[in-house]
Amino acid sequence: MADMLKLFVNGEEVEVESGKNLIDAIGAVGIEIPHLCYHPALGADGNCRMCLVGIEDGRPPLVPACKTPAMEGMRVQLDTEKIKKIQRDVMELELINHPVDCPICDQAGECKLQDYYMEHDLQESRMRVAQVKKSKNLDFGCGVVHDQERCVLCGRCVRFTRQITGTGELGIVNRTDTARVNIFPGRPLNNRYALNVVDLCPVGAMTSRDFRFSQRVWFLKKDEGICHGCAKGCNIHIDHNREKYKDDVIYRYRARHNDLVNGYFICDEGRMSYKSENENRLTEATVKGDLVAVSEAVHTIRQELSEAKKPLILVSPNSSLEQQWAVKRLATLSGVECFGYSDAYIKEGDGDDYLIRDDKSANRKGLELIEIETSKQRFEEALAECDLLVNFDNDLFRFDANEEMKAVVAGKKVIAISTHANYLTDNGTVVLPVASYSEYGGCVVNEDGILQAFSPVVRKNEELIDVLEVTRMLGGDVSDSGQAWSGIRSAVPELAEVQPDLIPAEGLQLSVSEEAHVSA
Amino acid sequence: MEVKILSEKFEIENANLLKVAKEHGAYSTLDKLFSMEPVDVTEEVKKAGLRGRGGAGFPAGVKWGFLPKDTGKPTYLAVNSDESEPATFKDRYILVRDPHMLIEGIIICCWAIGCHDVYIYIRGEYTTQVKVLQAAIDEAYAAGYLGEKVAGQDFRIDVTVHRGAGAYVCGEETALLESIEGKKGQPRSKPPFPAVEGLYGCPTIINNVQTIASLPFIMTNGAEAYSVYGTEKSAGTHLFGISGHVEKPGMYELPLGLPLLEVLEKVAGGVWKGRKLKGVIPGGSSTPVLTAEEAKTVTLDYESMAEHGTMFGSGGIVVLDETVDVVKLVQNLIHFYHHESCGQCTPCREGLGWMKKIIGKLLEGEGTMADIELLRELCDNIEMKTVCVLSAACTMPVRSYLDKFRHEFEAYAKDRVNSAPANVELQRN
Ligand code: SF4
Ligand code: SF4
Ligand code: SF4
Ligand code: FES
Repeated sequence: MADMLKLFVNGEEVEVESGKNLIDAIGAVGIEIPHLCYHPALGADGNCRMCLVGIEDGRPPLVPACKTPAMEGMRVQLDTEKIKKIQRDVMELELINHPVDCPICDQAGECKLQDYYMEHDLQESRMRVAQVKKSKNLDFGCGVVHDQERCVLCGRCVRFTRQITGTGELGIVNRTDTARVNIFPGRPLNNRYALNVVDLCPVGAMTSRDFRFSQRVWFLKKDEGICHGCAKGCNIHIDHNREKYKDDVIYRYRARHNDLVNGYFICDEGRMSYKSENENRLTEATVKGDLVAVSEAVHTIRQELSEAKKPLILVSPNSSLEQQWAVKRLATLSGVECFGYSDAYIKEGDGDDYLIRDDKSANRKGLELIEIETSKQRFEEALAECDLLVNFDNDLFRFDANEEMKAVVAGKKVIAISTHANYLTDNGTVVLPVASYSEYGGCVVNEDGILQAFSPVVRKNEELIDVLEVTRMLGGDVSDSGQAWSGIRSAVPELAEVQPDLIPAEGLQLSVSEEAHVSA
Repeated sequence: MEVKILSEKFEIENANLLKVAKEHGAYSTLDKLFSMEPVDVTEEVKKAGLRGRGGAGFPAGVKWGFLPKDTGKPTYLAVNSDESEPATFKDRYILVRDPHMLIEGIIICCWAIGCHDVYIYIRGEYTTQVKVLQAAIDEAYAAGYLGEKVAGQDFRIDVTVHRGAGAYVCGEETALLESIEGKKGQPRSKPPFPAVEGLYGCPTIINNVQTIASLPFIMTNGAEAYSVYGTEKSAGTHLFGISGHVEKPGMYELPLGLPLLEVLEKVAGGVWKGRKLKGVIPGGSSTPVLTAEEAKTVTLDYESMAEHGTMFGSGGIVVLDETVDVVKLVQNLIHFYHHESCGQCTPCREGLGWMKKIIGKLLEGEGTMADIELLRELCDNIEMKTVCVLSAACTMPVRSYLDKFRHEFEAYAKDRVNSAPANVELQRN
């Protein structure tokens, strides 16, 4: 636990963490100091001047809170008329050249300028001279659209490309009120994290071409999730909306702060992976190409399983621990071999030293922990011998065409239990659509051994069945995640102590020493 | 009234050349310098009471004392020759007429603060000055006053001339450092201060050209010989650039503490064409204006200026005669500071532009009394809320004009209530 210190805010004593600046230290106990340019991941720059506070100790009358470390006994003034006036004054200056047309701004509803105006300003405009004209709709590359007239020149986006990606595509050109954020001519944003500038921008100046104007943000339900785009398991906000009579649709993913996993950011590919939750989904069960009810499809699978001489079960490295466990139990009870072979999820060399991993599955570690066989050789041997392949959502040929294996599969009877259409569903005797990760809850373990829990977020009008439920209907003995966990706990020593409900928000580091484990 | 300490060689032909400069005593103080301990040099400078001549007037020796000890990092000296304050033109005399005095001063300072790498940051527009200075530096290298063994001592000094690209704000200490580092010239938010974390993250002293050029005299003649000039708290002499509506504008070296009016009369020949004095800008455009009445009692030193609610500044005195249209002057002033704002912090970036438009509106006959109020209020709202003092360099003088010459602004306001005094004609353009 960090050292604590006591200081006074508006005369009231509060206990805050030491080693932080005033914005973070006091913010952690629920007292907000307005700020635009400071961001914990980017450090203090001191340019917006929204965070000026008074300190009663003889230092200069005003200090920027973002650059002032919290100190024992410090007396911080936030609510004096003088400080409130400064906040109003800075807000006024912030707004004079800003279009006051929130209703048509993409950021309305989650704009810091809007919030601060309501909290700290609420004055009528005194601007009776022409505003500074700026450009609109500039294509900065990577799907980022810049609207200069809304920019408050906080420099967060610029610092992001300098400090985080090290690519430095953005800069602030010119001085005085002709200063603008811009790219070098012909050198647009070109990095795999570029869309984070949209999250970072406190106003509507950086927008995502993909999302802008597709939804008013106050209609969105903003839930928490875990990106399944790769083995990093970045924490995300899943913003979705179920309009009347329509289905629940995900409109965007945004980075969710987690110091243990991804800090404040996510990669662009992960961010855009929300699309696959909406598109290309399997929705209808079929048997030999004919539409059937789910119950009938399950019935057929049961039959096929019992009739097959040598069936083989395959499970996805993207499935939750609970699902993997349930599939394994089903396999054990049915005396069928269970595989998690999924080399096709690995994009060799695609990862970087930041967030992106080569492995594009969210829970390969789960397969290891639960001890499901993943070796290629063993899988190929078993595949060659089997007469029925029952696949639980493993996209067997995802990034890897593997024609040889395809040929082998083509000669087998295939049962495809899947979220999305793919080669196996195209060739399946029975095809059963199932819920995808935004629609169910569970746990995944990322490449670094951090166990994270997530809850169901999206509820479709026509809800799809969960893999775990499918195993139960096929004669498995896991009826819910509670039951899955009692099985997992007794079988997996690393997980013996885990109570899924008590997994901390930032996740649980599994693969470190006992001591660190306890303190996590 | 004039004295010749810094300007001793200004009238000597070719004193910028090493040979001539040496004939007149340049570099004669180095033996003494290297026989002294660096701390004693600093002490001598403190005793002399030399205050920074860049405008703020902070005691030079005290500033040197802020350098942290034993950081294991190099210490840098940055000589500020970014002389861009409107009405200020003193340093260029030193650069062109006696550059070796500056180089000698640099050697003295380097010895005192233990510095081996010096950057002279020079205003981009000063093309002649750069050429002459660089030639003098080259001569000093060739003669062994700079380089590996300064004056035969085991002490290295390298001097680099760094030309600015024409930004007033680069005269601000930290913007100057950013510019030397090759970045966009904009001030750093402090702390840390340059003495602790300056150029390339190392301890750095930044002194004005005139400050450094004052050192050879102090070393040669001792602190007392220097402090006989000036007042108790404002010791020594200063190069005053007097311009505007006077008979004999020019650059004059004077001891500090002389009465302003007397100087204007006796040195600069009085207000030109026999006109009446309206006001005086005492130390460059950023210093609040003095009315003719105030000018009667003020003396040319830091204390008296402060007592009169203004600042000594850079010694760039501008005389305003009775014909000056203060509103146009203010427009010019705001225009300049707005143009030079680096644009990083909100109040300065947005606020000065707003002020500029309001004054423009007033001059176009479209302004109202409320606009004047707003302009006045904006001065308060912007000042001291910013990263550097550039914004205050605009708002402080503007406020002084608004307060002291209010009726002239009101004369332009379209809803004024007979506020125009008879002697001010309504001028519109
Ligand atoms: S675009 Fe947004 S993040 Fe970038 S400087 Fe402008 S307001 Fe800040
Ligand atoms: S780095 Fe991986 S987990 Fe993180 S957002 Fe990207 S794809 Fe998702
Ligand atoms: S006050 Fe003006 S010049 Fe100084 S840092 Fe701010 S914007 Fe730049
Ligand atoms: S947050 Fe401190 S100045 Fe912007």
